[in-house]
Amino acid sequence: MSKRIAFWIFLIGTLSSSALFLFLTFDTQRQVEALSHADRIDDRVIAGKRAFQKYNCNDCHTILGFGGYYAPDLTRVIRRVGAEGVRYRVTDPGKAFANGWRKMPNQHLAAAEIDDLAAFFTWVDGIENGDWPPQDSRKRLSRAGERLVASAAASPGAAVFQTRGCMSCHTLHGAGGTFGPVLDTIGARLSAGQIERYVQDPKAVNPKANMPAQTGLTDREREEVARFLSSLK
Amino acid sequence: MEFRSQKIAYWYFVAALPLFLLQVVLGLWLAVNYTFTVPQSVVDVFPFATARAFHTNLLVLWILLGFMGGTYYIVPEETRSEIYSTALAYVQLVALLLTGVAALVGFAFGWTKGRPLLEIPFPLNLVVVAGALIFLFNVGMTMFRAKRWTVIQGTLLGGLVFLAGLYLFGIPFYRNLVIDWYYWWWVIHLWVEGAWELVTGSIMAFILMKLTGVDREVVEKWLYVEIGLFMFTGVAGTGHHYYWIGAPSYWLWVGGVFSALEPLPIMLMVIDTMQHVKRRRTRIVNPLVWTYAIGCSILHLIGAGVWGFLHTLPQINYYTHGSQVTVSHGHLAFFGAYALLNLTTFYYAMPKLQGVAVFDDRRGRIAFWTMCIAMMIMGLTFGVAGVLQSYIERVLGMGYMTAQSYMRLWMGVTLFAGVFFLSGVVLAVTDLLSLKPAKVAAIKV
Repeated sequence: MSKRIAFWIFLIGTLSSSALFLFLTFDTQRQVEALSHADRIDDRVIAGKRAFQKYNCNDCHTILGFGGYYAPDLTRVIRRVGAEGVRYRVTDPGKAFANGWRKMPNQHLAAAEIDDLAAFFTWVDGIENGDWPPQDSRKRLSRAGERLVASAAASPGAAVFQTRGCMSCHTLHGAGGTFGPVLDTIGARLSAGQIERYVQDPKAVNPKANMPAQTGLTDREREEVARFLSSLK
Repeated sequence: MEFRSQKIAYWYFVAALPLFLLQVVLGLWLAVNYTFTVPQSVVDVFPFATARAFHTNLLVLWILLGFMGGTYYIVPEETRSEIYSTALAYVQLVALLLTGVAALVGFAFGWTKGRPLLEIPFPLNLVVVAGALIFLFNVGMTMFRAKRWTVIQGTLLGGLVFLAGLYLFGIPFYRNLVIDWYYWWWVIHLWVEGAWELVTGSIMAFILMKLTGVDREVVEKWLYVEIGLFMFTGVAGTGHHYYWIGAPSYWLWVGGVFSALEPLPIMLMVIDTMQHVKRRRTRIVNPLVWTYAIGCSILHLIGAGVWGFLHTLPQINYYTHGSQVTVSHGHLAFFGAYALLNLTTFYYAMPKLQGVAVFDDRRGRIAFWTMCIAMMIMGLTFGVAGVLQSYIERVLGMGYMTAQSYMRLWMGVTLFAGVFFLSGVVLAVTDLLSLKPAKVAAIKV
C-alpha cells in the first residue's frame, strides 16, 4: 500500500461518514419536533429546564441516561413519584432522606421554581425515546411494578397509593421513600378500618406519629387506599 | 531540545501535572460518597454534583494542557522552526489557568451552567474560545511560515481546529432537552472519538518515529489509515449515544453498526506500534518511554475498544445505559487513551526539557505499574457494580437505592483501588517534576 492509497482511505473514510452523519442530523432535527412533542414546550417547561441547570441537578442525577450516576434517573420521575413526590423531595431533602444512607443537598428552591421543575419533568416524561429506562417501562414490567400495577388494575386504592404521595415516605416492594415504615405486610397487622382512621389523623391514634394528616384525600380515596393496604399480608 | 521555544511545553506540563493529581483526589472523594453516608450538613455545602464537576473539568483541563504542551514541543521539530510567538503561548497558558481556577471557585459557589462536563458559564466560555483562537493562530502561523508540511503536522492542526470548532456547540442554551443532548455529544463524543484521536494519532506517530527511527513514510502512511478509520467509525458512531434520547430509531442501526467497527482503528494502532518497535533502527535510550507508549496503546484498546464495544449494541445498552458500566468504560478509556498518552508525551519530552539525557526510571516504572494495575481493578469493580445495577434496577426493577445497596461493597473496593491509583499518580507527578540522571545508563540494544 502506498502513501497515496492511504491518503484516499483517510479522505473517503472521513467524508463518507461525515456526509451520512450530517444528513441524518438534518433529518433528526426535523423528526425530534414530533418525537419530543416540542409543541408542549412552554415558558414553564423552559423555566424548569433553567432551574434544572441552575442547581446542577444533572451532576448527580441522570436524565435520558446522561449525567451523574449518583442518584435516580429523572426521565420518568413524574410517572414514578408524581409532581407531589418531586415537590416533597426538593423542598426538604434533609427530611425526605433522613433515614436514607445517601443524601440530597437542600438548595432552597423557591416554590415557583419547584413547580417549573415539575412542568419540565412532565414534558420530559412524554418524550418518545424507545421506552427507556427499562425500570419505568410500562411494557417491560419490573417485578415490583408488576405487582403494583396488577393490583392497581384490581383496586383503585393501589393507584391512590402510587399517585397521591404515599410513596414519598413509604416503600412498597422495594420502591418508594425511606422516611416512613415499609408497608409490604401492613395488612397482617392492621385492618382496613384501623388504617383508614390512622391515615385521616395519625396523631389521634399515636400522639408521637410523624405522619401528617392526609387531608388532601377524599373519603372515597382514603377508603380505597385503606382497603388496598389491608390486603397486603 | 533542539529549539528554544520548545521550552514552552515545559510550563504546560508543569501546569497539567498538579491538576491531574487534584482530579484523582476528587475522584476518591466521589468514591467516599458512594461508599459511606456523608452527613446532610456536608452534602448541603459540598454536594456530590460539585465534586463531580471538579473531577471531570480538571480531567478535560489537564488533558488539553498536555495536548497543547505536546503540540508546542512537536511543532518546532516538525517545521524546523521556532514557534511564531512565545509570548502568546504564555498569555494563552495563563488565560486558561485563570479560567480553570475561576471555574472551580465558581462551581463551589453554585456558578454553573449545569450541563455535565460543560458546566463552565458563558463568560468563561468566551475566555476559553479566545485562548483556543490564540493557540490555533500561534500554531497555524508557525506552520504556514515554515511551509514544511508533513502528515503529522497536518493531522495535528486538523485535529486541533476540529476540537476547537466542536466546543462551540456546547455553548448555547437549548430549549429542547433532546436537541440539547444531541449537540452535547458533538462536543463530548466527537472530541474523544474524533478530534482527540487525531491529536493522539499524530503525537503518537511523532514519538514513535523519533524513538524507533522508522521512516517517516511508513509512520505517516499508517497514520493516514488510522485516522481515516477513526473518522469513518467515530463520526457516524456518535449514533450510539442517540439510542434513548428521543431521536429517530435509525440511530439504533447506524450507532450499532459503526460503533461495532470502532475497535478496528485502535487495534491497528496497537499492531502498528508493535511493528515499529520491532523494526526499530535506533538504540533504546529511555526504555520507560516505550513502556508508557505500549501501555497506552494496549489500555486504549481495552478501555475504549473492548469496554466500549461490550455495551454499544442497542440490545445490551438498553440495560446498561447510564449505569456504572458507563463509568467503568469511561475510566478505563480516558486513562488508557488520554492520560497515558499525556504521560507518554511527558516522559518523552520532560528529560529533554530538563536537560537529562538518560533518566533514572525506577520511580516512573513503579508509578506506571501501580497506576495501570489499580485502574484495571477499578475498571473491573465499577464493572461489577454496573452489572449488578443493570440487573437489579433495570431487569428486576427493584428500585434505585436497593440496587445501590448491593453495589456499595464494590464501590468500597473501588475506593481502596483508588488509593493505590493515587499513590501511583503522586509518584509519577513527583518523578516528572524532578527527573534525575541515571547512575548507570540503562542502555539496551
